[in-house]
Amino acid sequence: MDLKLIQRLIAMMKRAGVAELDVEDPATGLKVRVVREGAPGPSSAPVVHLLQGGGGAPPMHPGYAAAPGAPLAAPVNEPAQQGTPFQSPMVGTFYRANGPDAEPFASVGTRVGPDTTLCIIEAMKVMNEIKAETSGEVVAVLVENGEPVEFGQPLFLIKS
Amino acid sequence: MFRRVLIANRGEIAQRIIRACRELGIETVAVYSTADADAVYLRQADETICIGPGPSAKSYLSIPAIIAAAEIADADAIHPGYGFLSENEHFAEVCRSCKIAFIGPEPETIAKLGDKVAARELAKSAGVPIVPGSDGPVEDEQKASQIAQQLGYPIMIKAAAGGGGRGMRVARNEPSLVTGYHAAKSEALAAFGDGTVYLEKFVENPRHIEVQILADKHGHIVHLGERDCSIQRRHQKLIEESPSPSLTPELRARICESAVKVARQANYSNAGTVEFLLARDGNYYFIEVNARIQVEHPVTELVTGIDLIQQQLLIASGEKLAFEQKDIQFRGHAIECRINAEDPDKDFMPSPGKIDLFVPPGGPGVRLDSHCYSGYRIPPNYDSMIGKLLVHRPRRDQAIRTMLRALDEFVIEGPKTTIPLQRNILSHSDFRAGDHDTGFVERYYGHHPGIPVASGETR
Repeated sequence: MDLKLIQRLIAMMKRAGVAELDVEDPATGLKVRVVREGAPGPSSAPVVHLLQGGGGAPPMHPGYAAAPGAPLAAPVNEPAQQGTPFQSPMVGTFYRANGPDAEPFASVGTRVGPDTTLCIIEAMKVMNEIKAETSGEVVAVLVENGEPVEFGQPLFLIKS
Repeated sequence: MFRRVLIANRGEIAQRIIRACRELGIETVAVYSTADADAVYLRQADETICIGPGPSAKSYLSIPAIIAAAEIADADAIHPGYGFLSENEHFAEVCRSCKIAFIGPEPETIAKLGDKVAARELAKSAGVPIVPGSDGPVEDEQKASQIAQQLGYPIMIKAAAGGGGRGMRVARNEPSLVTGYHAAKSEALAAFGDGTVYLEKFVENPRHIEVQILADKHGHIVHLGERDCSIQRRHQKLIEESPSPSLTPELRARICESAVKVARQANYSNAGTVEFLLARDGNYYFIEVNARIQVEHPVTELVTGIDLIQQQLLIASGEKLAFEQKDIQFRGHAIECRINAEDPDKDFMPSPGKIDLFVPPGGPGVRLDSHCYSGYRIPPNYDSMIGKLLVHRPRRDQAIRTMLRALDEFVIEGPKTTIPLQRNILSHSDFRAGDHDTGFVERYYGHHPGIPVASGETR
């Protein structure tokens, strides 16, 4: 979980009029609660509380936070999930399978090779098959099917 | 009005557009490359999306990446800023087919004005003077010398597919025309794969005068006066001002009216700039239309009090212009210095890297549009502009004094900047007298750009 995600959550909450949201990042085990104080007023400042795994970082205002993309806190290492992040090579919409009823290309435990398709990223109505470009085992899937992803966003953890 | 605008640009203009959107209550989506991930202006956007790596071709120039970002962020309009995709008709077309409003003219207008020959024809048909020329390709040297005789020397030989000074030659007599004709032809063939050349009368030491236009989608067109951008180095503008010290009220009225005619002929909508060359004899000639917002737009904002970026947003969303020509008042004198991270002592070589200390100037009459700050690292991937320093004062001499004061105050430690050169130009007697042209910088600072030549120095 990084600041970009939190910023996006806050923007989504604002649009949907949501006052409080708990989020858990399966990759890091990091739990975050985002509370918009005095919501749904438009000027209410969202406050992000680290619930777990962040090592006691103070609540922060995203407007004064570190640059986008900077990690919020050191992720908690879970031995079973150690792997190298596979980053999105493009911006678009992330799909785990060829269609709604199809099997996902890759799940936790899938062995992949350089030419194995990991996922599809849709940009401008073009379905781009994304290859693993490395060999190993998928140990985590970090993005939900159908979610928007940006360039460089970690999509999978792959253990070689 | 738009609900959510994606800004397909970076740096100071991205920040400028975010500011305009926020004042209009429009949400902003800022896209960025990994080279810009640290940029502080991104925090002022409602949402940020990383669209690719540092090289522009894979980020700010990537149409699929930007459209995909607009789709996932649910933006209803895209502001292209200047440079990058701002005058790319294909991008404007893709936006239209994706039902995203492109904040700029229609793709057909961009295409027509982007074609130099078509734009020239358009100006001619609007009754606006163009530089006299061959009206088409010149096939052989006999034809060339015949046309040159009619036009009168000096003559400029230009590549039809040209740009950036390649395939261009100036001839002052028949022998140099013949050699120049063949040289330009082979250079154009090598550079553009097309050896077609045409001839134009060469306007010597002209001034660069451009007129700001605003046109809505309902046929209303106004001009916002001119900017004098004669202080340039190799077609790179260094100082811009409004009003131009070289225009009489009568000449100003004619040039501005010509600009409106061109815009009307082009069926133009949104903000645009019509550029002219002004010769020493008072004749002026249409050169081209820049179908986008320009770097130096704040000069016009200062003298008219009209926020051009807000106007772009209003026009693109279909609003009518809220004022007519007679409502536009021009007040005082504005000057802009483009502060670039370049080393004037080393032939303006870009000087990227970390800014150790950044202390912006301020005080009465000063405006700074910059995305930089102490500790900011200027990425090597993009242009070297640190910011635009502007002043607005009642009179030109006062504006020059305020600009010199502001340049003195401006602390930028780390990269080399163009500030020393701009200080020198502003102190030069020719500039102070308003007696300068597009050859000024090369003439006085050409050989040792950082070291002023003694003649005409007042400080």
